[in-house]
Amino acid sequence: MSALFAGLAEIFEVDESEISSASELAAFNWDSLAIISTLALVDEINGVLLDGQALAKCETVADIEALIAKEAA
Amino acid sequence: MQAAPGGYRVEGVRLAGVVSAVPARRLENQAFEERLGEAAVADVAKMTGVQTRYWVEPGQTTADLCQVAAERLIERLGWDRASIDGMIFVSQTPDHALPASACLLHGKLGLSPHAQAFDVGMGCSGYVYGLWLAACLLQAGLKRVLLLAGDTISPLLDPDDRATAPLFGDAGSATALERDPAAASLHFRLGTDGTGASDLIVQDGGFRSPCGPAASIAPTLKMDGNAVFAFTLRAVPALIEAVRADAGLAAEEVDFHLLHQANQFMLRHIGKKAKAPPERLPINIGKFGNTSSATLPLLLTDAVAEPLSKEAATLVLAGFGVGYSWGAVAGRFGPLDCAETVYL
Repeated sequence: MSALFAGLAEIFEVDESEISSASELAAFNWDSLAIISTLALVDEINGVLLDGQALAKCETVADIEALIAKEAA
Repeated sequence: MQAAPGGYRVEGVRLAGVVSAVPARRLENQAFEERLGEAAVADVAKMTGVQTRYWVEPGQTTADLCQVAAERLIERLGWDRASIDGMIFVSQTPDHALPASACLLHGKLGLSPHAQAFDVGMGCSGYVYGLWLAACLLQAGLKRVLLLAGDTISPLLDPDDRATAPLFGDAGSATALERDPAAASLHFRLGTDGTGASDLIVQDGGFRSPCGPAASIAPTLKMDGNAVFAFTLRAVPALIEAVRADAGLAAEEVDFHLLHQANQFMLRHIGKKAKAPPERLPINIGKFGNTSSATLPLLLTDAVAEPLSKEAATLVLAGFGVGYSWGAVAGRFGPLDCAETVYL
């Protein structure tokens, strides 16, 4: 998932070391632009198109990882 | 015309010229800062790429912009008005509930009584739908067709909605098509997913929810950006690949991929997915904003006007969005006799 962490760090404009599965998205700027960027990021690195509404409901990075796993299954 | 599954080939249709017309009122991003805040405007601009856009003045309409474009195009091409036997007006912002704006424009442009003229109510995909319909009319026997396409979305914007208020611009266009047996084949793909209709909508102003002098609400554009973005990623790279395959084109054989200018971030992502390198995927949303059905003609008259005026080029044009609706055409276009942007 390092590509996901690196991509999220870029979206949130923070250092990659600040992103882990436990990271709370509310601690960053988790707004509609970040959600759209994350949709594109996951599409690019996992080839998976997440549901925008489900992604918007994610509270932690682990929730995003779980959503990717669910969609990829 | 030969049909392939989901795709259609048209022969003997030439695109002679295109003129786009943009209104005089130019707005910088700063114009939105007081209402939306500096940081929000900067965030949206980073994503959408829009730096400036042109908006109509009250009372100025899409038909006005298209009329200017059409007059200029007819003049530049030296076309006899009596030789134009069809005109299509593609827009979601017509002058009136009735009659069709195409009929009004027919009168203003002084076209012949034998010329058919009608409206088509399409947006982001509208220019490709217009090209398709014009090509079908020419295949059916018409000699020359004018395609007028554009929108004035600015009066429909909620000034407090940061997702839409700074995104859209106004523009009109006129495209001249004529029968030419020597013209190269054009390959079209068109489609619809009506289940997404509510994701990009102006709810009021039609007959289900009329607006009148007594109504307290003004018709306003609503957009579920996440849903529209997801639709685009799902549909558009596949559309581009399919129309290229119809035309027997590898990605690197396409001189320019001209995509509806919806959002710069999205366009770059689609480009990567569809193997369209940035130098062959021009983006001019920064100058004009999202102008609905006018973004593709604005690419033809702005971003690729110079090369396309000099020599023929292999193009893929793709429009997609409101509806959901999409359309793409691939083929050899040009050299154009006229490709010009008029600033009113």
